[in-house]
This record gives sequence, C-alpha cells and structure tokens, in this order.
Amino acid sequence: MIPVNFDYVAAKSVDEALELLGRHGADAKLLAGGHSLIPLMKLRLAVPSVLVDLGRIAELRYVRDEGSEIAVGGMTTYYTLASSEVIRQKAPLLAEAAAAVGDVQVRNRGTIGGSLVHADPASDMAAAVLALDARMIVVGPSGKREVPAGSFFVGMLQSAVAPNEVLTEIRVKKSQADSGAAYLKLPQPASGFALVGVATRVALAGGKCGEIAVAVTGVAPKPFRAASVEARLRGSSLDAETLALACADVAEGVEALSDIHASAEYRKSVAAVYTRRSIETARSRAR
Amino acid sequence: MRISPTGKVTILTGVSPHGQGQETSFTQIACHRLGVKPDDVVVTHGDTSVVQYGIGTFGSRATAVGGTAVWMCIDAIQEKAKKFAAMMLKARGPEQIAIDGAIYRVKGKAKLSTTFQAIALAAYTAKTLPKGETPGLEATHFFEPTNFTFPFGTHVAVVEVDGETGEIQWRRYIAIDDCGKVINPLLVDGQVHGGIAQGLGQALWEEVVYDENGQLVTGSLMDYAVPKAGFLPRFETDRTETPTTVNPMGIKGVGEAGTIGSTPAIVNAVVDALAPFGVKHIDMPLRPEKLWRIIHAGRAGRATA
Repeated sequence: MIPVNFDYVAAKSVDEALELLGRHGADAKLLAGGHSLIPLMKLRLAVPSVLVDLGRIAELRYVRDEGSEIAVGGMTTYYTLASSEVIRQKAPLLAEAAAAVGDVQVRNRGTIGGSLVHADPASDMAAAVLALDARMIVVGPSGKREVPAGSFFVGMLQSAVAPNEVLTEIRVKKSQADSGAAYLKLPQPASGFALVGVATRVALAGGKCGEIAVAVTGVAPKPFRAASVEARLRGSSLDAETLALACADVAEGVEALSDIHASAEYRKSVAAVYTRRSIETARSRAR
Repeated sequence: MRISPTGKVTILTGVSPHGQGQETSFTQIACHRLGVKPDDVVVTHGDTSVVQYGIGTFGSRATAVGGTAVWMCIDAIQEKAKKFAAMMLKARGPEQIAIDGAIYRVKGKAKLSTTFQAIALAAYTAKTLPKGETPGLEATHFFEPTNFTFPFGTHVAVVEVDGETGEIQWRRYIAIDDCGKVINPLLVDGQVHGGIAQGLGQALWEEVVYDENGQLVTGSLMDYAVPKAGFLPRFETDRTETPTTVNPMGIKGVGEAGTIGSTPAIVNAVVDALAPFGVKHIDMPLRPEKLWRIIHAGRAGRATA
C-alpha cells in the first residue's frame, strides 16, 4: 500500500505540463484528482517516476455557456458539475452522473477529465459523455485535436489520449426542448463504481421517439453505446412492449465483465432492466 | 472518583468507552447525585498510568456495570461528606444531615446548611476532622453485578424486493427497545442507530471472499462493503422502560440491541417477501444477485410446475 518513490511537479500551465510530459516521456504521468491514479500507485500497478500535477492550473477548471454548447474544463470536479446551475439546466445528464460518483470526498476532488482519460470500465462520467455525444478537446505537442466521445474509449483503462497529451475540455450540446435524460446506476456497494450504469437521452418528435442515445457502463471492458437499442426505438412510440423487447438485448454480444461483485450474466440482465427504466425516466422528463 | 478541594469531580474509569458516550452518561450520574454542573466533571479513561485496571466495554455493560461503580463511589463520598457536614454544622451526627444536590442541611433546621464545595475544601485543608476520619474526598469502587441485565426489544423491517434485479427497497424500519432506565435518550438512540447499521451491514453487504487459491480478494474497502449512511432506511425508534433489579439505577445495556435485532429482522423480511417461491432460508449477505437468482429459479420452477 506504499507507492514506489516518485518525483512530483506542479505544472503552472497546460504548456508547462506538455513540456514536462515531453521531457520525461513514458516515465511521467498526469495527476488530476488522483482518485484513480493514487490507488493504482499504492498497489504498484502504476509506477510513474514523475507525477505532473494539473491541480494548480486554474484555466482548466470552468463551466462555460457557449451558445449551443456547454464547455467544461478538464479539471472541473464532480462537485462542480453536480452543483453548477448551468450544467443542471443545460446538460442535466452530466450533473446527474457526476452526483452518482463515489461519495462527497471523491466528488470534491475527482475530476471529469481525470475520470475520462483513466477510462475505467465502470466510470459514471463515461456513460454521460457517450450519451451526450460529447466532443473532447485534447492538446498535445503538435497542437489541438478533437475526439468524439464515440471513439474516445479505446479499451479497458485505455482512452484515445496519448501519454504526451492533455484532455483540456469536454464540450456537450445543450439539451433541447421536448428532450429528457437520465442516468441510472446499480453501484458496487464497497467502491460505489457502477456494476451497471445506463445513461440515456430521448428527444420526442410528434409524440414519437426522435433522437435517442443509450450508453452503458460497468458491463463491458469499455463503456459503449447500445446502437441496436437506439435503432429499434428511433421512430417508435416507446410503448411498453417495444421498449422491453428493444432493451432485452442491450448487452447482446458483449463480453461482459465478471467479478466477485457481479457475474456477467447478472450484469447483462440488470443492464436490460436499467436501460428500459432509464429510457422511461428520460421520456418522462422530456416535457 | 476524586473530588478536588473546590468540589470539582474527576471520574477515572477502566471501562474504556470508545464512542459510546460514557463521558456524558457518567457525568450525568455525578451531576444528578452531587448537584455539580457538567463543566465541573471530567471523565478520564484509557490512560492506564492513571485509571483503574478494567476489562473494557463489551457485552453492553459499560454504563450498567461501570456506571453503577460511579453510583457506588458517590454513595461512599456522600457518606464521608455527611460526616464533615455534621461537624461543620455542629449537628449530633451524620444521620442528622439531609442531602439535596450540593446542599447539605441539618434535618429540621432549614437555615443550617453548607455546600458540597465547602465540604470538599474542609476535607482537604483538614484543620479539624470528624472523629476517626482521614482528610480528602475520594472513593474507589469495583462493581460485580449479581446477575445479567436483560434488555429486550422488537425490530420490524418492511421491504420490497425488486423482482427484476433482486435489489432491496426499504419501506419502514421500526425498532422498539427496552434498556431499563434511560440516562441519556440521545446516546441510547445513537447506540441503537449504530447497532442497526452494523446488523444490516452483516445481513446485506459485508462478506469476506477468498479466491480458489486462498487469496483474500476483499482486502480493502474498495471491495469489502461496510454500511454507509446512504444505504440505510430511516429508523423509527421508541422505547419501553422496565428497570432491572440488579443495579441501583435500574439501567440495562443497549449497545448491542440494534445489532441483535436488525440482522434477523431484515433477513426474515426478505425471506417472507420471497416465500411465494418456496424460500425458507437465504445465507447472508443478501446481495441483489443472490436474490435475483432465487427469483429466477423460483419463476422457472413455477412455470414448469
């Protein structure tokens, strides 16, 4: 439970962080809230020799209303997301998912950027950004690039952010009229991580289901969009039978996680139930 | 128990409370009998270079046993204080002295009185002493009850089990306990609340798991689930009060009431909810997946029956 020795540098700006990452190469690791990285270091599953702390960079902590979009700085804490009026009004799914993370202490320190780059298969924020079709702004030595949420999660604990890059911003579209969203989660009782978490967004068009997004976390090695469920429900009236049928195979073909807290079979079954309930809740909020 | 020359009280106890609140309940006993203010009482425990040897707090005994020892010390101190009062007030003897909190008065002579604090000063300055008495005002008492106390109660859990996921939804949790005479209702409630949480933890979440190689896989709080406030229902608590006869205050233990009542209450509630599937017993902890499997197996059984 004691990490190996490491050096610590507090970067004062994104440029300085990039410069430090460039100088130390694979030995360096970015430190955000530290709630995923530090436990890994204590178990010596991660052994960086230099930690580059982003905690002092004020320019990475913000929530901005930018016309049709909300922009969130990578170092914004869960607490800020859950309590921000702008987020609660314009991107409520982000607030609901952030409020479901861990406990108060974790939400006070943990950050959206740290969580997303860590790419935990049971991350609450991952489900939210997938369902919101968020755009990730990543800065590296060769400048700025944009990664859509759909291609951000590469694999178990692996995101599209390279070791020499920084996730600086997450951009989501504001919620529209006649649309609703919901995040439902069955937590692992010890850690609070999702055994199953389902984030959904439903837009109604003429009483029928228009645009719909369903994102599932905790079930597979990486959080995923349930495209088949979305396809079957788009244009439907979301009646009980259609909904139940469409959601039943939300995890069809997924190689589901299995551990001491929940079997693959149970995760898949709960995912189907939670997907249905999450869509029902989102629809009921679409007013 | 030591009384200072100014009448302040130090209680040194070997019961070693670690959060149960005997600092408060022992202070209340002293204030009730000696007529001093809570600010004038210090309860010291845990420092073995200072306190009496004790075997600790367990078996819900700290107040019923240790608190009674405090009570007995006060008996001894008041006995000696009466002798000083009789001497100071020129009464015929200590049997002439009536105690009303901190006021010591000659019976039948309302204006002839002194205070516990004045007595304490006289006991330490020792200019004159009652016949055969030593200076100072302190007492040590070991208490061995003649029998156990028998607190009792009834806990009722009302739950729903989610038929699709096996999750347990709380409806009500009611706990009625009888711990005899109550010294501090808030402390008693706190003991009951904490006990219920612990008992529910055992019933629903806490489990030590080893893998097939004998490796402990629930070695940290990331994997071993202890009950958290947000997991728990609102507790509806109330009391009946049946004093015990085995100690002078009529007090009984309450520390374990919640742990003893809550575990079977919740398990029996869930077993009752699943009775339509022929369920008569479920091993703890009642994890949702376990209940989900029982429900699935039960439904399959009913479908083929």
